[in-house]
Formats: sequence, C-alpha cells, structure tokens
Amino acid sequence: MEFIVDNLEGTMNLGKQLGNIVHPGDIICLTGDLGTGKTHFSKGIAEGLEIDSPITSPTFTIVNEYEGRLKLYHFDVYRVNDPDEIEAIGFDEYIFSDAVSIIEWANYIDSLIPKEHIWVDIRKIPEIGINFRKIIIQYYGDRYSYVKELK
Amino acid sequence: MKILSLDSSTESATCAVIEDDRLLGEITFNYKKQHSVVLMSMIDNLLKNLKLDIVSIDGFVVSKGPGSFTGLRIGTSVIKGLSQGTGKPFVGVSSLDALAYNLAYTSGIICPILDALRGNVYTALYTFVDNKLHMISEHMVISIEDLISLLNKHNQSVCFIGDAVPKFKEELCSNMQNIRFAPTHLNLVRSSSLGELGLNLLTSGVHDDLYTFAPFYLRKSQAEREYDKKMESSQNE
Repeated sequence: MEFIVDNLEGTMNLGKQLGNIVHPGDIICLTGDLGTGKTHFSKGIAEGLEIDSPITSPTFTIVNEYEGRLKLYHFDVYRVNDPDEIEAIGFDEYIFSDAVSIIEWANYIDSLIPKEHIWVDIRKIPEIGINFRKIIIQYYGDRYSYVKELK
Repeated sequence: MKILSLDSSTESATCAVIEDDRLLGEITFNYKKQHSVVLMSMIDNLLKNLKLDIVSIDGFVVSKGPGSFTGLRIGTSVIKGLSQGTGKPFVGVSSLDALAYNLAYTSGIICPILDALRGNVYTALYTFVDNKLHMISEHMVISIEDLISLLNKHNQSVCFIGDAVPKFKEELCSNMQNIRFAPTHLNLVRSSSLGELGLNLLTSGVHDDLYTFAPFYLRKSQAEREYDKKMESSQNE
C-alpha cells in the first residue's frame, strides 16, 4: 500500500492508525533516509498505543521501552555494525515477546527479521514538494492483514 | 553450610535456602518474566520467613545459563553483589544440569529443553547412573528437528523436561518413539535442584571468580543464521 502525505501530521496520523490496530507481538520495520520522518511515524504508533510518555529516538540507547495499551519496544539499529552485536544483547527476547516492536533501520539487521512482519518505507518525493513523503507499507504474513484497514 | 541459590534463566524466578542436606525454603514464580522486579523481594521474603540474615549465608549458587539473556544477567548481578557484599563465595551451575537433576533416577536419556526461540532449543543430554547425573553431550543450541534426529540415533528411551516442552510436545511425539515428559511440577528450573548441585561444588571447594565469571548464552553464529535463513527461503519457493 502507498500513501502520499505532505506534512509531519500526515505521517504521524498514519502511524497512529497503525498503532490503533496492532496486536501483541507485532513487528514493524521502518526504513527511510535521515529526516524522512521515521521517528514521527513511531510517535504516531505510540499515540495509537496510548503511550503518554514522550517518544525519543533510541539512536544511542538502541532500544527504548514504553508502557501503553500494549508494551512498545522502539529500536533504532542505525549504530549496529553487525547483526551479531544486537543478537548478543537478547534481541530475540524482545521481538518474540508480547510487546509491539518498531525497528528503525531494520534493513541493517535483515538476517534477524522474522519472516512475518510489517515493513514501512518512507521516501521523500522532492519532485512534488519538499515536505511530501511517499509511505509504502507492506506486510508479510496473514496475521498482519489488518494493515489493509489503513486509510 | 547454608547456601542461597537463585535461578532466573527462564520465565521463572526461583530462590532457595539449603542447609547441608536439608531444603529450608524455596520460592518460585513462573509468571511473565519479571526478574528485575521480583527477585530481591523474593530473597528478602525467604530470608525473613526463615529468620535468617544475609550474613548467615555461607555461599551462593546461581544459574550460569544457557537461557534468557536478560534473566541470566540479572541473576548473575544479584549473586555477584551478594557475594561481594558478604565476602562469601559463589558458584555458577548450568540451568540444564539443574533441570536434568529434577529427573534423578530416570532411566534412559534425560533431555532438558529450554526455548531458544526461532525453532531452537538449548539442550544437553544426560543419564542417571550410579546415583549420579552424567552429561553425555555438550551444551547445545540446536533446532528441534536436529535434536530429534540426534536422539533417534541414540535409540534409547528419552524423557524431556523444560519450558520448551509444551511448544514442541506434538512435534516430538509425532517424530519419536519411546519418549516421556516430566510432570508439570518438575518442568521448570528449581533453585533447590540448582542449589543442591552448587552446594556439592562449594563444599568441595569449587567456586567462581567475582571478576571473571560470566553467564554463557550459547547462540548461533551469524554464519549459521544466514545458512538457516537461506534454507528457510528455499523451502518457501
């Protein structure tokens, strides 16, 4: 599925819609260049999960944990040089839990991503305008067919 | 000799006090892996109910793995802290040894399995001969299919125990013969079992070093993982 948004609110709104309908144990991979709005999309998901605390980028902490309607693990694996590094700190225990996991820069740890997941890719479309983004959402596995409800 | 033992290698959190050949008390919770929240109050509670002070404990035992990464680190940190603070020795014991020891006097192969996720288990094979537990394999992280073919080669009766049993019971039953499963009440690591093994080590003078001891996590290498992934995707085609 593809969505075109022209501001941050649009990105957050789409994230929120997803956050409203995700299930325990769901894995959301998130890619896109710096400044495309990955963290804002994550903020939207957190809002949909009824998380009150502010969402900050886990670039330096690798993972931040939040409590809401469901538990949220927010990963940013930009600084992970090798999938082994993050696997060695118990990555599997996080993503195979009852929490929702968001993994920014998931392409860096491709070999660790389970077969079934949602993949969100955010791209700039400068030919239309500086704030325009194309958000491509794909899902792998029937458990994620609810993604079709996004508008 | 009084020892305090602690296991947090799986979903369950368990601590016990053993005095020589007597278990004085044991607390086990097997709910939602919340070791960092419950462990200290469990220990406190156990000691209080036994009218014991932490300084009256002569040594400590902790599970050294394999198992949950976070769980093992929490357990190790707690025991190292108590050991350093009291100046009493500690020793690490394999969580698989402790599980297998739950099935003392079982004939054939004793096979503890802990869930290692992605279709894998942590395991090792044991027999109980002459009143003693013998490990007859290395500690392994292995896919359930590989474990089944390994065990089928042994051609002996096998008794399974551990938190991965419910997950794989059906698969084991349909691919193996002559197998049994531990009763539910034995099916988790007991700090009393772990503690007994550790007490034997401590009384014979074996202990671990505060600064060099680390739990072992046993995990597949990147190369093995990529191979698995390749096999997985070729199956799907």
